[in-house]
Amino acid sequence: MSVAAKVASWPARWQQRIWRRSAADSGTVVLRHRRIYILPTRRGLALIATLATMLIASMNYALALGFALTFLVAGLVASALLQTYRSLAGLAISPLAAGEAFAGGELGFSLSLASSGGTARSIFVATAQGRSVRLDIDAGATQIVQLSAEATRRGRQALGRVTLWSDFPLGLWRAWAYVHFPLAGIVFPSPEAPAPPLPAGHEGSDARRSARAAEAELAGLRDYQLGDALNRIAWRAVARGAGWYSKQFDGAGGRGPLDLEWAALPPSLAAEARLSRLTAWILAAEREARAFGLEVPGLSLAPGQGAAHRRAALTALALFPAERVP
Amino acid sequence: MIFAKSSAAPLARAQLAWLAALVFLSQLPLLPHVPLWTAAAGMALPAARLLLPADRWPSPRIRPWLLPLLALALAIAIRMRFGYLLSRDPCVAFLYVLVGIKFAETRSARDGGLLACLALFLLLTQFFYTQTIGAALITLPALLVLGGTLAALRDAPPPGADWRAPLVRTGRMIFQGIPVAAFLFILFPRLAGPLWGMPADAGARTGLSDRMAPGSISALTLSDEVAFRVDFQGPPPLPAERYWRGPVLSRFDGEAWTPLPWLRRGELAPRSAGQRIVEYDVTLEPQGRQWLFALEHPASMPQRAADGPPQSSGIDRAMLTAEQQLLSRTPPLQTVRYSQRSALGNGFPASGTLEARENLQLPPDRNPRTVAFAHELRERSASDRGFIAAVLQRFRTEPFVYTLSPPLLGGEPVDDFLFDGKRGFCEHYAGAFVVLLRAAGIPARVVTGYQGGEINPDGGYMIVRQSDAHAWAEALLDGVWQRFDPTAAVAPSRVERGLGAALPLGEPVPYLARVDMTWLKSLRLHWDAINYQWQRGVVGFNIERQRGLLRELGLDLGRPWEVVIVAATAITLWVAFVLGSARLRTRRADPAAELWARANRRLARAGLARAREEGPVAYTGRAAARWPRWRSLFASLGENYALLRYGPESARRDELLAALRANVAALPNVRTLRATV
Repeated sequence: MSVAAKVASWPARWQQRIWRRSAADSGTVVLRHRRIYILPTRRGLALIATLATMLIASMNYALALGFALTFLVAGLVASALLQTYRSLAGLAISPLAAGEAFAGGELGFSLSLASSGGTARSIFVATAQGRSVRLDIDAGATQIVQLSAEATRRGRQALGRVTLWSDFPLGLWRAWAYVHFPLAGIVFPSPEAPAPPLPAGHEGSDARRSARAAEAELAGLRDYQLGDALNRIAWRAVARGAGWYSKQFDGAGGRGPLDLEWAALPPSLAAEARLSRLTAWILAAEREARAFGLEVPGLSLAPGQGAAHRRAALTALALFPAERVP
Repeated sequence: MIFAKSSAAPLARAQLAWLAALVFLSQLPLLPHVPLWTAAAGMALPAARLLLPADRWPSPRIRPWLLPLLALALAIAIRMRFGYLLSRDPCVAFLYVLVGIKFAETRSARDGGLLACLALFLLLTQFFYTQTIGAALITLPALLVLGGTLAALRDAPPPGADWRAPLVRTGRMIFQGIPVAAFLFILFPRLAGPLWGMPADAGARTGLSDRMAPGSISALTLSDEVAFRVDFQGPPPLPAERYWRGPVLSRFDGEAWTPLPWLRRGELAPRSAGQRIVEYDVTLEPQGRQWLFALEHPASMPQRAADGPPQSSGIDRAMLTAEQQLLSRTPPLQTVRYSQRSALGNGFPASGTLEARENLQLPPDRNPRTVAFAHELRERSASDRGFIAAVLQRFRTEPFVYTLSPPLLGGEPVDDFLFDGKRGFCEHYAGAFVVLLRAAGIPARVVTGYQGGEINPDGGYMIVRQSDAHAWAEALLDGVWQRFDPTAAVAPSRVERGLGAALPLGEPVPYLARVDMTWLKSLRLHWDAINYQWQRGVVGFNIERQRGLLRELGLDLGRPWEVVIVAATAITLWVAFVLGSARLRTRRADPAAELWARANRRLARAGLARAREEGPVAYTGRAAARWPRWRSLFASLGENYALLRYGPESARRDELLAALRANVAALPNVRTLRATV
């Protein structure tokens, strides 16, 4: 890096060093004085103000013991400052894992905190959303902290900047440090509820699908729901003026794999609603232990079964780029 | 809020208990210094809060009103008791009850924090009244509890938690903070005078009064309190020469003696041949009066002692009255220290003819028997001196008794004393003597002060106590004021050997004035020596002593950059000391981990960092693959550490540790490792 470039990037580097706004921490971060900030708490300020008053009274009345008391407490406050600093210093933080969640649920993250050095620590770990977890770590112990965040919208959700802070031992000082790991969890679309029943499955190949559909036995009618396929509507009932019903088929064509297709969904459905329905169907298929394939624009997943397959399908939906909507 | 903590949550029982202990310990030292009912109210409120169950308290609807109203009522009561409110003593009393009220209404941790601050300030206020060693010691438990309270407010201790641990931790922190405290105590700039004017009540103490009525001095003599201490340059004067001159009383209303209502400036008496000059330093306890005591008769104006407290400033502008009494410009509020010279002797010239007239005044038609007796005796005597000798002779020969508990005197006290009771204390003798002289036409007056003083063999200084308070007389003969001590005529040992020797057996004598009880006395003298050092070294640490100490250390507060450099160095050293001592403790805690960490650091610097999850054997295996030359060393290192860390607890531990130490010592240095790759 040239000198000019270094100078030019200087403000940005310092902003990053102070605020840790971008997720640039990697590996294990050991908290040292460069990362630890410390300021008096409100109670600490009140005590310092009291000490200032005591100092003025001692000066005015020339109270030698007043000075001694004031300075003794000042020494205690100064010592508490170092103790508070020590409750964060030397703490080693490593990112462990980020979880998965459906939008609207709770996304979990885990970090590992190792307390090197001979101090038991009492600290708080807070996420950017303001959720705080209290941790008591014994000297030399390693502890795993589970953080959770509200999963707001589908896609990748970063843990964001984590604040570790402590006001141990007297609550007069608060030391804090930021760590910002590139740790992100996956938020699946929230499943539609209640969702329409699964579409018909088939036995292997596409060619035999319509035949399979015809073979399916009519199991009954149920109330029409917006988005039901046109060929499922009980037109006869509509013609009779009995109202709108959808036909339900028993087994929907047997135990064959399902095809969960973006294109097969009613065109009136918005993109996010389609993703929600597909999610709900994936979950339903999983519950009924049926294989399914997934076909969304730009991506097609061969029929399959099992946790990995389900996860791949849900991840595909979670990361489905909105601009790819046809 | 990232730093959110529920400081508005109700206090746990343990937190309340901590606060109660803090409040109690901060109120305790003030008990002797606040009115009794204030003390009762201030301590009853916390007790009520603790003992009464919560449902017995007034309903939440009136509670917000109750305590402010109570505070107002107490403020009014304090105003009525003291006559004013915005002054030091009433403020202390109000703060005292306020701490109790605040405790009674404390509900959240935030309230608790405020209460702790109030209690801390209250702890300081006791030093307005006393700065003894005891006062300093009694604050120490309160400081420990302050730390415990703050810790409890930060994090409510679970029920049954060990209450000693926070005290120990606070004690350790206070101990760590002592360098900071000492540094500030020595270096913090002291003022030469107060920031704002102090009310007159700031120094009201026990001591001599400027009104002498029968009983006023004898009440004082029961007190062992120190009036002042004296350091003599050279041998101290003889006991009979130890007359410490105080207020001079010239007015008599038939019962009580008072000074003249006006003040005349005087001049130092000219030195006469044969007078011995003594030089000494007086450390005067505050009495709330302007009087500076000196041996009769002062030969110099008092000089502020070089190591004296800062508020001796009134001494620099001290004045001498025509009656040869030394007055400070303002009443010393703190212990003051001044250097003084006196010419030992009996007699100094009067300053003018006015004095003779002023000191002949007698209330008309009072004490007729005394007046008649004086006239008669004067006629029988050849001269004024002969008359005085006859009066003293009468005191000596008639059955006069020197006692602390004289009988009550009637409407003509001098008559009753001289002719009926014949029992009295120095004020009776001095007063009656002066009345007799005045009635005979000899100008005379009463002088009060202290007579005597005890040499403390421990410190080589003299202690003058309130029990040494004394009254004697002065007569103007041939233009010279001469001292006469009628008490000495009745009880010569009072002057020679002190009060205890002079009083008949069975009289209530103050402990330290007693002649026997030597072991107790020597104990008390040791204690006084410690106290004296405390007063001079700690309580008396002031701007001059600070300058002197810094000069010795070669530091000048006038050059700020020097102070900044010294402060910065000291702070760095202290931080290194506190943080470093913790690190040292850790190292001692686990030598194996420390050795392993050292090996890891070296390999990492050579370019092979251990992955976080990597175990010792895997890591050293990797190192062996990279630097095959030391394969066996790496293998042994990893194995030894793994055995120490994860192996069974065994007797081989020390052996393994030694092996590990040898392994680490044998590790090639970074440059060699780098070069070998």
